Amino acid sequence: MHQQANGCPQHNGATNEDYETPSSSQQNGNAAEHKSPVPAMGKTDQDIVRLIGQHLKTIGLNRTAELLMKESGCRLDHPAAAKFRQHVIDGEWSKAENDLNELKQLLDNSNQSLSEMKFLILEQKYLEFLEDGRALDALHVLRNELTPLQHNIERVHVLSSYIMISGREELMNRARWHGKGVASRTKLMEKLQKFLPPSIMLPPRRLYTLLSQAVELQKDKCPFHNTTVEEGIDDFNLLIDHYCPKEQFPCETIQVLNDHCDEVWFCKFSPDGLKLATGSKDSSIMIWDVDPETLTCRHRKTLDGHTYGAAYLSWSPDGAHLLVCGPEDCPELFIWNIDADDQRVKISHSPEDSLTSCAWHCNGKKFVTGGMRGQFYQCDLEGTVLDSWEGVRVQGLWCRSDGKTVLASDTHHRIRAYNFDELSDSNVLQADYSIMTFSVNKADRLALLNVATQGVHLWDLEDKCLVRRFQGVTQGHFTIHSCFGGKNEDFIASGSEDNKIYIWHIKREKPIAVLQGHTRTVNAVAWNPVYQQMLASVSDDGTVRIWGPAEKYRKPGTVVAHNGECSSTTNNNEWSAMNS
Amino acid sequence: MDKITLQWIKMGRIFLEHIGGSKLFSCASCDTILTNRSELISTRFTGATGRAFLFNKVVNLNYSEVQDRVMLTGRHMVRDVSCKNCDTKLGWIYEFATEDNQRYKEGRVILERALVSESDGIDEHMGDD
Repeated sequence: MHQQANGCPQHNGATNEDYETPSSSQQNGNAAEHKSPVPAMGKTDQDIVRLIGQHLKTIGLNRTAELLMKESGCRLDHPAAAKFRQHVIDGEWSKAENDLNELKQLLDNSNQSLSEMKFLILEQKYLEFLEDGRALDALHVLRNELTPLQHNIERVHVLSSYIMISGREELMNRARWHGKGVASRTKLMEKLQKFLPPSIMLPPRRLYTLLSQAVELQKDKCPFHNTTVEEGIDDFNLLIDHYCPKEQFPCETIQVLNDHCDEVWFCKFSPDGLKLATGSKDSSIMIWDVDPETLTCRHRKTLDGHTYGAAYLSWSPDGAHLLVCGPEDCPELFIWNIDADDQRVKISHSPEDSLTSCAWHCNGKKFVTGGMRGQFYQCDLEGTVLDSWEGVRVQGLWCRSDGKTVLASDTHHRIRAYNFDELSDSNVLQADYSIMTFSVNKADRLALLNVATQGVHLWDLEDKCLVRRFQGVTQGHFTIHSCFGGKNEDFIASGSEDNKIYIWHIKREKPIAVLQGHTRTVNAVAWNPVYQQMLASVSDDGTVRIWGPAEKYRKPGTVVAHNGECSSTTNNNEWSAMNS
Repeated sequence: MDKITLQWIKMGRIFLEHIGGSKLFSCASCDTILTNRSELISTRFTGATGRAFLFNKVVNLNYSEVQDRVMLTGRHMVRDVSCKNCDTKLGWIYEFATEDNQRYKEGRVILERALVSESDGIDEHMGDD
């Protein structure tokens, strides 16, 4: 933005000379009676001309604006309003007060509005006197002008306390006021403007406001919007409707990793987005280095020693440690130190245990783990069981950002919140069918559930209600994982038993993309949390697939790595987008 | 058995439910939990291996195609059921009974005594709310 939102000191219709017939009784924008060369305009056309005129003035094209007003017979502001604005901006308070009497008949709720407007003007007058050190004049305003208004007595009391303030800085701080001058007077004008109907005076920067709203709507409607978090109107081309090309979206297989020798069950990117961990039925965990330039992965190391298969993984918040759980019959959990080779801790409390899920507390010093046979432990980094919650058959776990609350999905189709310090627990949500897996977005507000035979459901954890059921996915027999992804986490991706990956926009039920390439059930998908053009998926076909944008949208000057362990294919998969 | 079911047996991380309860019935060959004592309706049934139980609800099952079968109590449409985890055959489910006095069995599941084992559950914490 090239200007402060409120700082537009335009001299809008400043003098009566701008108008050919400065009769104050005349209705605004009534062009018919002028010797205008243009035929009578409709209401909408008049509004548009006024918007254009205002914008021209804002950018300093005053002569053009005046000519436009002359030719069209429209006017920006009612002459009385224009005069009023000028007097406010110039700090001519008594003149501004007089103008109010002229404007009175044009106001909707004249008496109430009038005293409020008068009050605002006198407040500014009072503060400006104080700033100038003219305490007596300020006192005069307070006693003889503000108080007799009998308006907002409370504020009058606050204002009177400012009389004792000595310094200018302190006054501005305490009154939260910008000080004498155009800036604070413009702000005052904005407040006053709220009482003036738009036919009398246009709200400041009206055209800009309208265009910003249009851009917001277009962004909202763009199904593939995956770019910068906060864009202003200046980042958009106003000449055409905004639309992100679908090829910018992770939609093509960039890489197929064939290194696992059995079904691949789970995958997760590290918090810094530079590593990928994949877990397989072959009991190995592979750690991959991510190249952010090419959006490809290179094998870093393989973690061996598990006997039950690696079914679930969780990176510590600092990315230094990795927790690994197994399938239902697995009584052990491993804590790997990723940077130190072979450093691991194995937790095995009892051979009867089942540890299938785990989650780190946000401080990275403690974690929770559990399973369907009724284990629910809180442990430290050495693997010591610090606390145990009896009688909960845990299916999935998540730690909330308050550092205390643990969410656990159980065999009764519920998600409940547990606090190990206070030993308190409460219901969060109740689904109709088994919750196979779930995850929570970064804002710690929305939960994504893969519900057996029902599909992917989005719940609001605060309002405790179901927000959306996403369509298309097939699941129920296998444990399938879904994830949030993209800038602002506006997207949702899930594996499926029909060998495809489904991607939805968080606001729409129908998928915006269906990725094909795997030849068996897709067990899990992971969206890179930092390099949002990158998606990983793992499947019973034994492969890991890395997905990225179409080649021309990847960063230029980079080559997809070809070595013995990776192959790059783009011909063997299709990508389809559905209109929404 | 169709192709897809065969594929399922060999592949994937099978999702298993847990019905809860204090006395549990599980698959005798792989210990997958199937149902509990409170779902038990009758113990006076007979299957291929002898004594069989009728249950109201059983989880973690695979179902065969519907078959038309004539039994001691009349003609029934049934599906064979097997363990979702190891696919061992366990019994059958009644889809439709032609005799009106047998309709109560519809949607209920027979598990053969010899193919299931009994164990104790845990004391579950259900929460107060």
